[in-house]
Amino acid sequence: MIKVEIVGSSITPFDSNDNQKEKGAELIFNGRVRGTEHGKKIKMLEYEQYEEMAEKELRIIAQEAQNKFSIKDLLCRHRIGEVKVGETSLHVSIWSKHRKEGLEAMSFFIIELKKRVPIWKWAILENGEKIPSECKHE
Amino acid sequence: MIKIRLKCFSQVKYALGTNEIIFELEDETFTDDLEKLVRKKAEGKLDNVTLSTAVNKKYISKNIELVDGDEVAFIPPVQGG
Repeated sequence: MIKVEIVGSSITPFDSNDNQKEKGAELIFNGRVRGTEHGKKIKMLEYEQYEEMAEKELRIIAQEAQNKFSIKDLLCRHRIGEVKVGETSLHVSIWSKHRKEGLEAMSFFIIELKKRVPIWKWAILENGEKIPSECKHE
Repeated sequence: MIKIRLKCFSQVKYALGTNEIIFELEDETFTDDLEKLVRKKAEGKLDNVTLSTAVNKKYISKNIELVDGDEVAFIPPVQGG
């Protein structure tokens, strides 16, 4: 199963459960907002998206990950708008038969997301100034 | 003449000072022609910015001819996650 969503408020994690009989690995990734950008303390990040295209690209990458690594499920929620320091901006849940393909798929999905999904962010400093966020494709 | 909707994000929005511009262009205008126009309009603010092209919300890798009603975005380096 593939599920991707872009949300405008706090991310609710996907349900975990004990009823998966053939899925031996459940991986959860939460990307959270760091408190510094360019060495300066920040209050929050402000994310903007290319509406419709961002979600479409997320779905394409999720499908690629599923095909490439034979994972069972990839579920993703990406938040846009203002996200305060410490809050989750990206939540990904992957279920797979074994851990190896799940870990590889998680890495692939996040790397490709950071290269291709049309989402951008600005850092809001403690004094209210808005500066471009650090952008690293690693 | 063709009418094209340009969507602006991040550095492009900052450089052009708007979210969206409607262009009326000659027939047989290609994506590369519009990118040159946008860079010129930005007056140097996009000179060091690599832009990918999306037409109707899909990345394209070739220089294609635009048609009336197309939505175009020149996408600066993305920063999701």
